[in-house]
Amino acid sequence: MLVLLFLAALPAFADTATASLMTKILIFGLLAVSLDLVFGFGGLWSFCHAAIFGVAAYTTGILIRQFGVTTFWLTAPAGIVAAGLASAIIGFLALRSSGIYFLLITFALGQLVYSVAYKWAPMTGGSDGLSGIPYPDVGFTLSTNGFYYFTLFICAICCYAMYRLTMSPFGQALQGVRESDVRMRVLGYNTWFCKYAAFILSGMFSGVAGVLYVHFNGFISPESVGMAASGLATIMVIIGGAGTLWGGLVGSAVIFALEYLVSIITAERWPMFLGGFFIAAVMLFRGGIFPYIERLWKRIGANGRP
Amino acid sequence: MDVLAVVILGGLSYGVVLFLVGMGLSLVLGLMGIVNAAHGVLFMAGAYFGLAVAKQTGHFWLGLAAAMAIGALAGLVIERGLLRRLYNHQLEQILVTFGFMYIVTNLHLWIYGPRPKSALVPQALAGSILIGQFTFPVYRIAVIFAGGLLCLVLWYLQEKTKVGAIIRAGMDDPQMARGLGINLTPVNVGAFCLGAGLAGFAGFAGAPVLGGANLATGTEMFFTAIAVCIVGGVGSVQGALAGALLIGVATIFVGAYLPDMATYVTYMLMVIVLLFRPAGLLGAK
Repeated sequence: MLVLLFLAALPAFADTATASLMTKILIFGLLAVSLDLVFGFGGLWSFCHAAIFGVAAYTTGILIRQFGVTTFWLTAPAGIVAAGLASAIIGFLALRSSGIYFLLITFALGQLVYSVAYKWAPMTGGSDGLSGIPYPDVGFTLSTNGFYYFTLFICAICCYAMYRLTMSPFGQALQGVRESDVRMRVLGYNTWFCKYAAFILSGMFSGVAGVLYVHFNGFISPESVGMAASGLATIMVIIGGAGTLWGGLVGSAVIFALEYLVSIITAERWPMFLGGFFIAAVMLFRGGIFPYIERLWKRIGANGRP
Repeated sequence: MDVLAVVILGGLSYGVVLFLVGMGLSLVLGLMGIVNAAHGVLFMAGAYFGLAVAKQTGHFWLGLAAAMAIGALAGLVIERGLLRRLYNHQLEQILVTFGFMYIVTNLHLWIYGPRPKSALVPQALAGSILIGQFTFPVYRIAVIFAGGLLCLVLWYLQEKTKVGAIIRAGMDDPQMARGLGINLTPVNVGAFCLGAGLAGFAGFAGAPVLGGANLATGTEMFFTAIAVCIVGGVGSVQGALAGALLIGVATIFVGAYLPDMATYVTYMLMVIVLLFRPAGLLGAK
């Protein structure tokens, strides 16, 4: 299953525009997958992941534009560490509660990041954002296709790492906490630490996506950091299937493909379609599209054998 | 001295608007356990529709009624059309309201256009009074009184009536309430529509206080309403009032002396409350 998806993504597309779209899908897919780590596997309804993603993106952007530090090998880790720090702070404040309150608090703190990005104009460029950010300086120049492979490589590694994480004892413990916090504590697990560690790890992977994004887009503004962006990430996870990890990638692909198609007819009404599609997905595709595909796949496989 | 008076009155009038919005959100959150992501949009819908009606007919009070009506109507649509089908699935209910918010915001862009709308004040309440060397709009004082009155009515409803007792029971222990034979479904629907109607009302009545209405109002108000719930505590009139007045007065106060920090006030209050009293200042449990 996984191998098949991998192979499908590898061949180079002659069209630069398509490569660009695929890159965008991969980057946001990575964000969605990292969100799914805490959302689907941890049962934590986090509404601030775009903000953490943004912290990494802004850190990289600021280092490049305001301080002239251009080596990827410095800016990228800085962005990821910044994202990790942000998630450590947010997680600490938010994990004092759970469920709805966790959602509210992460939402509020995510908005705080948005507010800082908006107001700290000398550093962040305010509502205009930071622009003119080039492709990463990894020692040799990257073309659009080259960047696509670069992104694919990094996303593949990250997703695989997260996959292994969910299969590990830690991942299993996290899912146990999602199912029943009390039971896990009775068994001796430090549930707070499980959730906290998962949150920080998830944040760091979001940071990777953020670093990739700022290079891909060449530009970062508060819009990519606020409630709308976090909501979009959540939509991707839900549409793709929460708790399936790969659902995040599926969700990202579906959303951007739809956006592209709808924009041909009407660009202004896209949010309405997105909202409507989202509602339909929540009400009809219970569990997301990915489990749907998985079931279809299994049925095809089963029919092939007696 | 008069600066202080103006600032406090301004803060109170802003706080009252926040109370009306926050109350609806808090009620639904406490009773049904869901965050109505569309709540801010209901506020905006009330403002836009109310202003459209008022400007067409030339009557402020018609606009007010229209604002309340569209709020309650939208609430009914959300509850019966969407939420009812997702009973017992909290997360899905929240997500659906989120999708609804997307749709309604874009709908407003389509119907009303992207430019902000100016607010309307009734003839009877136009003009200002003199406080020291400052002029203060009479309308805002009216808002404080109206809000205070509504607050008392809601408080009375909550504490002294059977309906209020049923609502409080539904918040504390829905299973037990149902076990006692109370049908919570109409209660939930009613509460949801009440909250939505309040939001619509606040949108129109509060437009002059906020300086008009624009497409960002929906998300901004949603966020502030959440802050009210976090700071004051969920599910009670006194909680919403405490949170709203605190945020309102603090924001205006800071805005007068340290303009750049005004938007951070809400966040600061939230973080402080979360660190020391995670359930909110007047929250239960």
